[in-house]
Amino acid sequence: MEFFTVSLINGTIYGLLLFMVSAGLTLIFGMMGVLNFAHTSFYMIGAYLAYSLQKVVGFWPAIIIAPIIVGFLGVVVERFFLRRVHKYGHAHELLVTFGLSFIIAELIKLFFGNYPVNYQVPASLNFAAFQLFGTNYPFYRVMMGGISLLMFGLIFLLLSRTRVGIVVRSAIYRPKMAEALGHNVPLVFMGVFGVGAGLAGLAGAVAGAFYTTNPNMALELGVLVFVVVVIGGLGSLEGAMVASILIGLISSFAVGVDLTAADLLAYVGAGNWAQQVGGLLTLKVSSLAATIPFALMLLVLLVRPSGLMGEKE
Amino acid sequence: MNKKQISLSVCALFAAGAVQAAPLKVALVETLSGPQASTGLLYRTAIKYELDRINAAGGWNGAPIAVAEYDNQGGTAGASDKVKAAIAEGAQIIIQGSSSAVAGQITEDVRKHNLRNPGKEVLYLNMGGEALELTGEKCHFYHFRFTTNAIMRIKTLVPAMKEAKALGTKVYAMNQNYSWGMDVDKAIKDNAAAGGYAVVESTLHDVNKIQDFAPYVAKIKASGADSVLTGNWSNDLLLLMKATRAAGLTADFGTVFLDQPGNIGNAGETALGHYVSHTYNVEANKESEKFGNDYKAKTGHYPAYVEPQTIFGMQMLAVALKGTKPAGDGINVTELAKNLEKAKITGPMGDVTMRAADHQVQLPMVVSKVDKGAKFKVDGTDMGFKVVKTFSAADAANPVQASCNMQRPS
Repeated sequence: MEFFTVSLINGTIYGLLLFMVSAGLTLIFGMMGVLNFAHTSFYMIGAYLAYSLQKVVGFWPAIIIAPIIVGFLGVVVERFFLRRVHKYGHAHELLVTFGLSFIIAELIKLFFGNYPVNYQVPASLNFAAFQLFGTNYPFYRVMMGGISLLMFGLIFLLLSRTRVGIVVRSAIYRPKMAEALGHNVPLVFMGVFGVGAGLAGLAGAVAGAFYTTNPNMALELGVLVFVVVVIGGLGSLEGAMVASILIGLISSFAVGVDLTAADLLAYVGAGNWAQQVGGLLTLKVSSLAATIPFALMLLVLLVRPSGLMGEKE
Repeated sequence: MNKKQISLSVCALFAAGAVQAAPLKVALVETLSGPQASTGLLYRTAIKYELDRINAAGGWNGAPIAVAEYDNQGGTAGASDKVKAAIAEGAQIIIQGSSSAVAGQITEDVRKHNLRNPGKEVLYLNMGGEALELTGEKCHFYHFRFTTNAIMRIKTLVPAMKEAKALGTKVYAMNQNYSWGMDVDKAIKDNAAAGGYAVVESTLHDVNKIQDFAPYVAKIKASGADSVLTGNWSNDLLLLMKATRAAGLTADFGTVFLDQPGNIGNAGETALGHYVSHTYNVEANKESEKFGNDYKAKTGHYPAYVEPQTIFGMQMLAVALKGTKPAGDGINVTELAKNLEKAKITGPMGDVTMRAADHQVQLPMVVSKVDKGAKFKVDGTDMGFKVVKTFSAADAANPVQASCNMQRPS
């Protein structure tokens, strides 16, 4: 029971964090069709900016200002890089963002050095939210989950219930018609990209303090974020949410499972044989916890290529 | 001076050049770019520091030693290519440190090269690859390891923590799922009797892929462990420590790579009270302080993490070079290797020697604890490493592995 409850909470909150990072990516892809490789680079910039700012203006203003600056950076990237290559198609956009991710990583190393920086959860937030089977549950984790849920709610409402959402969606599906009606489509695109980047920046500013802020953080999360988006369905916000939570829960539960294939084979009397063969058969599930999401992605791609909640291709 | 005289003197110059041996060339095949570059660049700093001193003292055979840098980009394939290129460009000594996987590739490449090119051997100086197999199954005459290994680290960590009453009776072994982590895991289990503890659980996890260590912390808590011993490095160590303290667990950590720059800064108070077994602590004694200050004057920081052992290794190379006379048009690498086996230096922590049987360096170790009372603070925090216990080279030594079957040149 204890294992189940703890894993459930840990997994859900980690999933929510994953959503926080991948929301911007799925938004940009869903709205603009741009697969932004530099997305987690914006996440990293958000963390570093918040780290620099909190020394001057304090923690809360820092995690508000940092995403705004990152959003502005996103606008600049869209206006001066992506828009220029847009006419050449997806491959060029992908390559531009790919190159950008390397440049950002090197720039970060240039300004902040090769090692993790001293970005920590402020002492005023470093307390236990509640006790769970005798262990403290950090308040900051709960807060990250809350921010993620808030983010999901706001984006969802913005896109589905407001005029802005209608304009954005029409600019995507019928750009010519939206333009004819007097809407500035390039401006909409620029705005969407800026908001997407800003969301990544927010995730970085919040999570950077809890995890580590180092020059490799973009790389470490980069692949996983794509896994989330692929499993959830390219461009589907709800899908990204479901996939994030799914990945969070699976990796959290897998850590506690020490079963091996040999244990299962023991039920049919082949346990000793399996132990002798060794290799894959005696590998614990728990030691594979971080690899399972990738296996899940392969499975989804084979069975349902458009993802759990993606539109039919 | 007429034409004849000039051409004669030119001829004489050429003749002199032919007698003069070619300058010794050293290749640094290190990770200088990409995610793991932070460690590679530290090796470079340490190697350059000592090579500059060797060259200032006259280099080898009256000529400065030439250094060429090759970026292996953190991978074995890159390293293999760069070793070939370095040898083709005349390098006779290859130096590398970060990653046991890369070290394993280079040592094999060098072994094969030497088999195929008798008389044109090259030497591999391993400054940081700690996997046991490098001085075990893969040991060979032209490989020298100047760093410790899992057994030496845990063998020192355990008694020091036990004396400090930080070990308890229940130990959790938490390691990365590859050769290094498995070595540490085994060493932790092997030292259980000596340390008077039981390993309540041992976990091997994916390397550098886990963002969220909370599920592992739940496991540590459930096991009731008093302390956690881990060979984790970089982000895997930081995230694990932070997650443990965030959950309010007070288990002390026994670590190996806690002194990597940036770790204490990022972990903050979370790191307080944790232990590390390493090869040097600036505040160990007067000599270590002097050594540290000189290094700081030249490079801007005190030697830490992988730097100390690298400097000691280069000092041993300097001793061996002194005893090696030029032969023909260059250095006889086999001769140099034989001298390196006998090389002995008195480092700031004590005597450092090379064991001829498996080419594993024998060096003193120190176990330190993160404390606010430390004299030298790190990462701009108010914390530093306080010496808990020092070990002589003999105390820290691990026996020669039976799997090492070294073919010695006659």
